Amino acid sequence: MPLIRIDEKEIEVAQGETILRAALSNGIYIPYYCYHPALSIVGQCRMCLVDVKGAPKPLTACSTAVTSLPPDKKIQGKYDMVVDTKNATVKKAQRGILEFLLLNHPLDCPICDQAGECQLQEYAYTYGSGQSRFEFEKVHAPKRVGIGPHVVFDVERCIKCTRCIRFCNEISKTSELTLVERGVHTRVDTFPGRALDNPYSICTVDVCPVGALTSREFRFKERVWFLSSANSVCPECSRGCSVRFDTYKGEVLRLVPRENPKINGLWMCDYGRLLSERLKTLDLAARPRIRDEKGWAAYLWEEFAPRLVAKTAAFTGSPSKDLGIVISARMTLEEMVAFKRLSAALLGGNEGWVLNVTQGEDDGLLIRKEGRPNLKGAELLDIPAAPENALVSGLLAGKKAALIVREDVVGDAEGPEKDALRELLSGMDLVIVADYAFTETAALAHLYIPLAGWQEMEGITVNFLGVAQKTARAVAPPKQRRPFYEAVSLWLRAAGHEAPEPTFLAWHALAKEAVPALKDKAIRDFLPHGIQLEVTRP
Amino acid sequence: MGDRENNEKRQYRILFLRGLRGLRGERSLGLGMAETLKILTRNVGKPNSTDIDVYMHAGGYGPLMTALHKMSPEQVLGEVKASNLKGRGGALFPAGLKWSFLPKGKGTLKYLVCNADESEPGTFKDRLLIENDPHAILEGLILAGWATQSAGCFFYIRGEMPVGARIFQKAVDQAYDRHFLGKSVLGSGWDFDVWVSRGAGAYICGEETALMNSLEGKRGEPRLKPPFPAGCGVYGVPSNINNVETYANVPLILKNGAEWYNKIGTPSSPGPRLFGVSGHVKRPGIYELPGGVTLRELIYEHAGGILGDRPLKAVIPGGSSVPVLRKDQIDIAMDPDGLKTVGSMLGSAGVIVMNDTVCMVKALLNLMQFYAHESCGQCTPCREGTHWFKLILQRLEEGGGQDEDCGLLLDIAENVLGRTICPLGDAAAMPVQSFVTQFMDEFDEHARFGRCPLRQTRMTTVI
Repeated sequence: MPLIRIDEKEIEVAQGETILRAALSNGIYIPYYCYHPALSIVGQCRMCLVDVKGAPKPLTACSTAVTSLPPDKKIQGKYDMVVDTKNATVKKAQRGILEFLLLNHPLDCPICDQAGECQLQEYAYTYGSGQSRFEFEKVHAPKRVGIGPHVVFDVERCIKCTRCIRFCNEISKTSELTLVERGVHTRVDTFPGRALDNPYSICTVDVCPVGALTSREFRFKERVWFLSSANSVCPECSRGCSVRFDTYKGEVLRLVPRENPKINGLWMCDYGRLLSERLKTLDLAARPRIRDEKGWAAYLWEEFAPRLVAKTAAFTGSPSKDLGIVISARMTLEEMVAFKRLSAALLGGNEGWVLNVTQGEDDGLLIRKEGRPNLKGAELLDIPAAPENALVSGLLAGKKAALIVREDVVGDAEGPEKDALRELLSGMDLVIVADYAFTETAALAHLYIPLAGWQEMEGITVNFLGVAQKTARAVAPPKQRRPFYEAVSLWLRAAGHEAPEPTFLAWHALAKEAVPALKDKAIRDFLPHGIQLEVTRP
Repeated sequence: MGDRENNEKRQYRILFLRGLRGLRGERSLGLGMAETLKILTRNVGKPNSTDIDVYMHAGGYGPLMTALHKMSPEQVLGEVKASNLKGRGGALFPAGLKWSFLPKGKGTLKYLVCNADESEPGTFKDRLLIENDPHAILEGLILAGWATQSAGCFFYIRGEMPVGARIFQKAVDQAYDRHFLGKSVLGSGWDFDVWVSRGAGAYICGEETALMNSLEGKRGEPRLKPPFPAGCGVYGVPSNINNVETYANVPLILKNGAEWYNKIGTPSSPGPRLFGVSGHVKRPGIYELPGGVTLRELIYEHAGGILGDRPLKAVIPGGSSVPVLRKDQIDIAMDPDGLKTVGSMLGSAGVIVMNDTVCMVKALLNLMQFYAHESCGQCTPCREGTHWFKLILQRLEEGGGQDEDCGLLLDIAENVLGRTICPLGDAAAMPVQSFVTQFMDEFDEHARFGRCPLRQTRMTTVI
């Protein structure tokens, strides 16, 4: 393998590796804009210029590959390439390029939404000259161009790195974007009659190093340095993309993908990302509720749990044909373990169906047809899955009581199925619904248990590839809204049974017992990329 | 006073029209003037010179027949290599060497590209050949195709030359009729096609890889190198690209031999060369001369001296992209070695002459307006730098100049030079450097007086 020296560091790199990759993976930072690890190399921002010994002029580190020299031509007898990333030539080049980039870029960081996570801003501080010698009117271009349903484009801020164009060409393969015009009037635009409208369009906002592309949903909602972040998992399909929840004052403001080569690479779909918007529309309840003739009444858990036990007392003992249970693969591994425990102790060992809701087909990139994140987890725990898209009215037919956890079966149903479910549930003696939101299904229940949402709790989820990841508590729920495992602890205790502490760690320990592959794993092992379980692939 | 001015103006107009006629080849080159060569331009000015019969009557396509029937591709390539023919687009890269970079043999698909996107300001030699002697170019293309065993050639002609495109297309059609093109050229069993493509009007598409992108229907942006065209060229196929004049030289080399060819001109610029002289000269036009003729001879003997018998001020010796020369630097040979001694380059041999009425700031501004307009916008230094040059020069010329403008121009030029993907950035930065350093006084004067000192005397705008 060629041996190269970058600054003072000797590095052995594979033949054909670029200087930039070699430097970055060895802790030497070279600034860049147009380079992106997942996209093709174009070398057009010229920010990554470095001084290569023997080259007549600075070369772009992103596009210059390392090749081995014949033994008699090695530099200083041993190096195949000697690169300087910090000498005067390079510094002058970097300062020059930054000056050029800022020439026609608005210098209004205080009102730019990208401020705080802007590569241009960062480099201007680190490598820039601190002042501009440009004394002319900047080239003006349209601001706030809605180039797609979820993306807003500020043409003036664009530095023409073309990452977004390459993303649409190479990753989403939808090719909506192109450069138009030339010279300083060059700008990114959609092809005539098209919009930046693809299932991954907001990824262009992620790859944009400056504030040119912003997400319509997040822009100007909050300054990024005020955000709290939690590394978690997207719950919207069985892919389970690694994401980061960015929150402010208890509200999820955006989801951004985390790099995870095993699962989602660097991307995530718009649907998953817009979970933050859907969360805002939900009708939430802060306390458990019981419905009687007068209507709904809210209770604290201490008052609610004994009533819950009393209502379900009839089902304790042996399996009952009258009780139908529908649970969801939106539950974490711990919640499923808790359900099994609950079922064995208080519900006569009745088994529940895990719904397998699918929609459309896998798209070949990220989006999976299974709409629930933890189907594999249910499989690991031997909880039977209902047939694909089975009608819930069929599963519950003939039952007199139902427990429905984390599924809005009525709300998700359409047409005759919806009416059938309404009729079925209204006719039952006892319907218990446990869910994050107070859904249409919950409205038909007799007892409603509010559950902490995906963003409000910790838990393990296993995606379709068998990668176990941990969700995180991005925002804190109200005290009475708890994860299902905590609710089960309280339920069991109220019935006089022994139960684990109502905490994540207590139930996580039980989950680890139930899934042998997780036995000797610590919490920290789940980060950053999850744990690949030995799961037999279908 | 007024009469004299009017007379002068009339005189210029007549000279200008005469120059255009020279361009079209209607004027017999060299008549009553200093002797020029009639090698590349042998058919220019002949009646019906674009017709294949006229061309063949003068011995045309003879070298092709000889080569195809009696010479192997390697022999043709060897002859061109021995001739030391240098690329005539401006970079002066040895053509034979370039051809030899292509993968060898019949097995791999290869293409030739002929760069007829002649758009360098001050350069108009290819147009003369295309419009007057298309078959010489075509014969050169076929010979190059045979030498490299290519499958075909894309002839990419500038969109602003519709006449040339029509004439060349007609020549191609005639060549197909005579089996110089198509399946099994002249019964050799080797197929060769030529496709004529017209550009859409962009200077940058004269850069080889931008031309290829444009040819493929993409945006005309230069590609990152490596890979070089010889490995991955047009449509991803190994390709060789040369200028029109380069290909037009090939039949001559095959006909008369490399030794004969080398005897014309100097070692660093062998063979006949087409010099395009424009600007303030009495007889602007194309002059075919051996490489190495002195610049003074070219301007004063061939082009008839300076317009209005005024003093010379500056000369751009090789198309707008090369460093400018002062009047005291014209006693040099017009070949790469000679021009190197005064810090300039031969480029495309388009000589732009400026007399003492030219304001150098205005002239440079004119150039920078061109480069700022033609920068493709792909890479940062060129996109922003050319625009900045333009703005500073505009301000300087309009009287708003500042003392530090010269230093600023030089510093920006330094930041652009060698930092870009393609040579357009260099092409803009080099004139800036040379204009400012060669005519620093004039630039300073603009800044100091807050106006253009030549405003009153300026007669015509050149370039």
